[in-house]
Amino acid sequence: MASMETVEEVLKDWEAVIGLEIHCELTTLKTKMFCGCALEHGAEPNTNVCPVCLGLPGALPVPNKAAVQSIVLSGLATNCKIMKRSMFYRKNYFYPDMAKNFQTTQGPIAFCMDGWLDLEMEGDDAAERHDVEKDENGGYVYRVGIERIHLEEDAAKMIHVGGTDGRIAGADHSLIDYNRAGTPLTELVTRPDLRTPAEARRFMQKLRQIYLALGISDCSMEDGSMRCDGNISLRRRGETTLGTKTELKNLNSFKSLHDGLAYEIVRQARVLESGGTIKQETRHWDITHKRTVVMRTKETADDYRFFPEPDLAPYDLSDEFIDEVRALLPELPEAKKARYQADYGLPSHDALLLADDGELGAFFEQAVAAAGGMHAQRIANYLLNDLPAALNAAEGEATVADTKLTPEALAGLAKLQDGDVISSKQGKQVFAELLEQGGDPEQIVEARGMKQVSDTAAIEAVIDQVLAANPDKVAAYQGGKKGLQGFFMGQCMKAMKGQGNPKVISQLLAQKLDS
Amino acid sequence: MPLSEKDVRAIADYARIGIADEDLPQMTEDLNNMISSLDAIKEFDLEGVEPTFHPIGDLSNVLREDVVAPSLPREVALSDAAETEDGQFRVPSILGGDQ
Amino acid sequence: MALDITQMSARQIHAGIQDGSFSAVEVAQGAIDAIEALEPQVHAFIQTTPELALKAARAVDADRAAGRELSPLAGVPIAFKDNMNEMGTRTTCGSKMLANYESLYDATVVERMLAAGCLPLGKTNMDEFAFGSSTETSFFGPTCNPWDLDRVPGGSSGGSAASVAAGMVPLSLGSDTGGSIRQPASFCGVVGFKPTYGVVSRYGIVAFGSSLDQVGPFGRSVGDVALAMNALAGRDPRDCTSQECAIDFTANLDEGVEGMRIGVVPAMNEAEGVQPEVIAALNEALDHLRGLGAQIVEVELPHIDAAMAAYYVIGPCEAFSNLSRFDAVRYGYRDPGHADLSSMEDASRAVGFGTEARRRILVGSYLLSSGVYDEYYLPAQKVRTLITQDFREAFSKVDAIVSPTSPRTAFKLGEVSDPVSMHLSDLFTIAINVAGNGGLSLPVGLGRDTQLPVSVQILGPQFGDDRILRVASALEGCYDIARTAPLAAAAKGGE
Ligand SMILES: [Mg+2]
Ligand SMILES: [Zn+2]
Repeated sequence: MASMETVEEVLKDWEAVIGLEIHCELTTLKTKMFCGCALEHGAEPNTNVCPVCLGLPGALPVPNKAAVQSIVLSGLATNCKIMKRSMFYRKNYFYPDMAKNFQTTQGPIAFCMDGWLDLEMEGDDAAERHDVEKDENGGYVYRVGIERIHLEEDAAKMIHVGGTDGRIAGADHSLIDYNRAGTPLTELVTRPDLRTPAEARRFMQKLRQIYLALGISDCSMEDGSMRCDGNISLRRRGETTLGTKTELKNLNSFKSLHDGLAYEIVRQARVLESGGTIKQETRHWDITHKRTVVMRTKETADDYRFFPEPDLAPYDLSDEFIDEVRALLPELPEAKKARYQADYGLPSHDALLLADDGELGAFFEQAVAAAGGMHAQRIANYLLNDLPAALNAAEGEATVADTKLTPEALAGLAKLQDGDVISSKQGKQVFAELLEQGGDPEQIVEARGMKQVSDTAAIEAVIDQVLAANPDKVAAYQGGKKGLQGFFMGQCMKAMKGQGNPKVISQLLAQKLDS
Repeated sequence: MPLSEKDVRAIADYARIGIADEDLPQMTEDLNNMISSLDAIKEFDLEGVEPTFHPIGDLSNVLREDVVAPSLPREVALSDAAETEDGQFRVPSILGGDQ
Repeated sequence: MALDITQMSARQIHAGIQDGSFSAVEVAQGAIDAIEALEPQVHAFIQTTPELALKAARAVDADRAAGRELSPLAGVPIAFKDNMNEMGTRTTCGSKMLANYESLYDATVVERMLAAGCLPLGKTNMDEFAFGSSTETSFFGPTCNPWDLDRVPGGSSGGSAASVAAGMVPLSLGSDTGGSIRQPASFCGVVGFKPTYGVVSRYGIVAFGSSLDQVGPFGRSVGDVALAMNALAGRDPRDCTSQECAIDFTANLDEGVEGMRIGVVPAMNEAEGVQPEVIAALNEALDHLRGLGAQIVEVELPHIDAAMAAYYVIGPCEAFSNLSRFDAVRYGYRDPGHADLSSMEDASRAVGFGTEARRRILVGSYLLSSGVYDEYYLPAQKVRTLITQDFREAFSKVDAIVSPTSPRTAFKLGEVSDPVSMHLSDLFTIAINVAGNGGLSLPVGLGRDTQLPVSVQILGPQFGDDRILRVASALEGCYDIARTAPLAAAAKGGE
C-alpha cells in the first residue's frame, strides 16, 4: 500500500474525479438582476432594497439586460454554445435569505451550455498528475468541459448573533440584510473532468482572468463576489464507475481550493484503503485547522419544486443580440499569451504570467511600445521578478498602479540597461527609486552619478593601479592561481565605485594579466 | 394512490405549514378530493403537444436597461417587520435547519 | 342637501363636475355618505379611506378652478380590491396574515386610476388571497349581496362587485384568476370585465396565479367600464407580461353587432347543474343579438372539459410558490414565542392562513414535487395549449362567444361548503383564464325563478377586448334594468 500522506502519492493508485461550481457576482453592473436597486459593496444594511428585492407582496421582477449581455459574453469567452431559447425557473425552498422563498434561476437550458477551457499545467502543478503525457518541460495541456453557465440572483447576507464565530449553530438569533439579495449571479458548472487539485486551481485562476478581462466582475474572492464549491470522488485507477462524492464548501481562495481538495483526496483515500465507505455529504473546508468537516448529510435528494417562472417572459435571443455582445469581446488571456510569444519572443511562462494579469499585461505592452518595440524581455523581467518582490514586501493587494512607475520610465530603464549604460545592480536601484518616487531614469542615473564607465583608457588606468598595488598576487596568478581573477575584478570595481562596466573590465584585465 | 397522512405531513413540512395532529385527517381527505378532481388532465392525448407556460403569445426578451432606480428608505423597508435590530430583519435562531 | 351618487354613472359624475353642477368634494362626500349608510349591511370594505378620497377630490377641484383639463375619470369615486397595494392603506388580501400590512408602494393600476383623478374610497373585501367564489373565506367576515343580504356576492372580488351594486361607488377594480371578476359581477348584477392577460399591469397586485391573474373594472354600465379600461390598459415596464395596448375602448361602443357572427358553445350551455333561468336568460340574450342583426353560430371547444382540471393544477402550483414569501420575516403575521425559525414559520403560516389557503398551498406543493410534476403540472400546461388552440380556432369562425357567466345565481351564505362544489361555480369563467383571453359579464335582469341578478358572459379573441365591449354595449341597450340594488333607495327612504 502506498503511503497516504500526499496527494501525489494517493493519485498514483487512485483517480480523483473533481467538478467545480463557481458562482460569480456581476459586480460591474450598476443594478441588481431584477430591480433597479444599486449594486454597492459595504452600504449600510437594507439601504439598497425595494419592493422587488424585498419580495414585497405584488412586486414583479424585470431582468437586467446588461446581465444577460454579461453572461452571453462569459459563454462566448469559454467556448460555450449560446442558447437562444431559455427560461427562468423558480427554485422553491424556504430560507430567509431568499426574500420570496424561491430563487429565480435558469432551468434545464441555461444561456450558455457545453463549453470548455484548456488548462496549461506546468512545474509543480503538473507533477500531481500521472496519467497524461508531458512535454519536455514536464508540463501538459488539458481540456476541461463546462456543462453550463446560468444566470440567477444572489441571496441576502445573514449575521448569526449570540453563538461562537458567527456560526449558525448555537446562535441566539439571526439578522438579515437584503442589500445583496438580487445581485446578478452567474453559476458555472464544470463537467467532472478535473483530476488534480492543481487543475482545479488552474481552472479557477483561468476563469477569473477571463472574467476580469471581460470586465463583468471584480472577481474578488475575499469579498465573496467569486465563490467556489467542489464535488469530489475517488476511484481506483482503471475503474470507470464513479465513487460516492462529497461536496466541499468554502473553497474561497486559490489556496483553499487546492488544499481543501488535496485534503479531501487524502481523507477519502484513507477511508477507502482501510475498507470504509464514503458518505454522500456536504463538508466545510476549515481553514484554521486545515481539514474538512461535515456540514450536513444528504439522505434524500433535494426537491426544489422547479417550475418555469410565470412572471418572466421566455428568451429568444436574436443573432443581432449575440453579435452585438460578440463585438464587445476583448482579447482573451490565451490569445494574448500567444501574441506575446510571437511578437516579443517571450518564453511561454513569462507570456502566460503577463497575459493572465490584464493590468500587468497592459503595462507591459505600453512599456514595450514606449521602448519602440524593443527590450521586451528586460521589461518583462522587471515586471515579473522585481515588481512582485517589491510589492510583496509592501504587503496588501498593491499592484503596479499603486506605484509611481510609468511604462515610459520602465522603457527608459530597460534601454539604459540593455545599452550597457548602467549595470544590472544599478538598474535595480533605479527601478526601486522609480517605484517609490517616480521620475525619469536618465535623470536619476545622471543625478546619482551612476553612469557605467566603459571608457577603455579610464579602466586601463585603474587596472594598472590595482595590479601595481598587488605585485605578489599578480605573480601568484601568473604562477597558475587563475582564481585570483575575481579578486582583481573586485578591486577594480571598488576603485571605480561600482560604476565600471564589468564586461569591459574583465576583458581588459584578462588581456593585461595574460599578456 | 391517495396521499397518506404521513405524505401530507411531509408536504406540509416542506411548505412550512404547521398542521395539528387532530386536523391531519380532514386535511388529508380534502387534499385527496381536490387531487382526484384533477384526473381529467390525464384523459387527453398530449403526445407532441408543447406546454404553454406563459399565455402571452410570442412575447419574449422583455428586459430593462441597467439604470439605477431609487430604493426604499430603510425605515420604510423595515416598517412592516415583526422584529428588527440594527437596521436589519431579525429572525429566531436557525437551529440546525435542513438548509 | 348631500349629493346622491348611488345611481350615477362615472360619466354623469364627471360631466357634473366638468359643468360645475357639483364639486368633486361633494361627490366624495356623497360616496362617503353612501358607504356610511350601506356598509353596515353589505360589508363590502375591509378599510375605507374617506380622507384619501377627499384629498383627491380637492385636487380635482383645484385643477378645475385653475382651468386645467380634467381627465374623463377625474372626480369619480373608486374602490380597490384589497389585494392591490395603495400607499396609505393596509393591503390585507382578506387574510390574518396581512391584517396589519401597510402598503409600501402603489400598484400600477392604483397609480393609474389615481393619476386619472379617481377618488379612492377604500379597499374591498375578498376571499382570502382570492381563493374562493363567495367572499366567505375573508378573515374579516363575509360580504353580503346587496340584492339579498342573506346571499353571497360571489367572489373572490365580492367586495368590489357589492360596492358598485350597492351604489357606494360607481367604479371598482377586481382581479380575476378563474372568474373572480365575472362571477361576482354576475351575482351582483353589475358589469365586470376581465381583459386579455397582459392588457393590464399586474405590478402591485398580490399574486395568486401569476399566469392567470388579470385586473379589471366593475361598473354599472359598459360605458363606465370602457372608460376605466382606457386608464388601466397599456404596457407597464414593471410587469414583463404586460403588453402594448393603445386602444380607445370607448371608440366602438355604439357600432352595433350587425353582421357579426356570435358563437355559442353547446357543451357549455348544456352542462350539468346549470339553472334553467340561466339558460332562459342566455336564450333571450341570443334573441336580442339576432334582433340586432348578428348571426348566432355554434362552435366547439373540444378541450373545454379539461380547463377546470388544468386551472386547478396551475393555480395552486403558482399560488404555493407565490405565497411562500409570507414567512413572517419581512412583514406579515408572526406567531409569538417561537425560539427557532422553522417553528416560527410553521406556526405563523398555520395561523395566518385560513383553511382554503392552506389547502391550495399544500396541493401546489404536492403537484410540483418531483415525479408528480410530470403527472399533473406539465400535462396541465399542455392542455392549456390545446384550449388556447380551441379558442383560436373558434374565433377564426366567430367574432365573439356568448355563454352564461355562472351556472347559477347567488347562493346563500354558508350554503356551499365543500371546496370541490364551490369550484363548480367557476365552470364557465375558468377556460379563458387558462387561455388568456378576455371576457365580460353583462347583467341581463333578474332570473325568472330566483329574482336574483343573472348575467351572460361575452368572450373575445386575445386582444379583442374592444370588440367584447362593443358586443356588450349593443346587448346592454336591449335591456332596461336597474343597475343599483334596491337597497340604496331603501336606505335613502329610511333616512
Ligand atoms: Mg445556483
Ligand atoms: Zn430592489
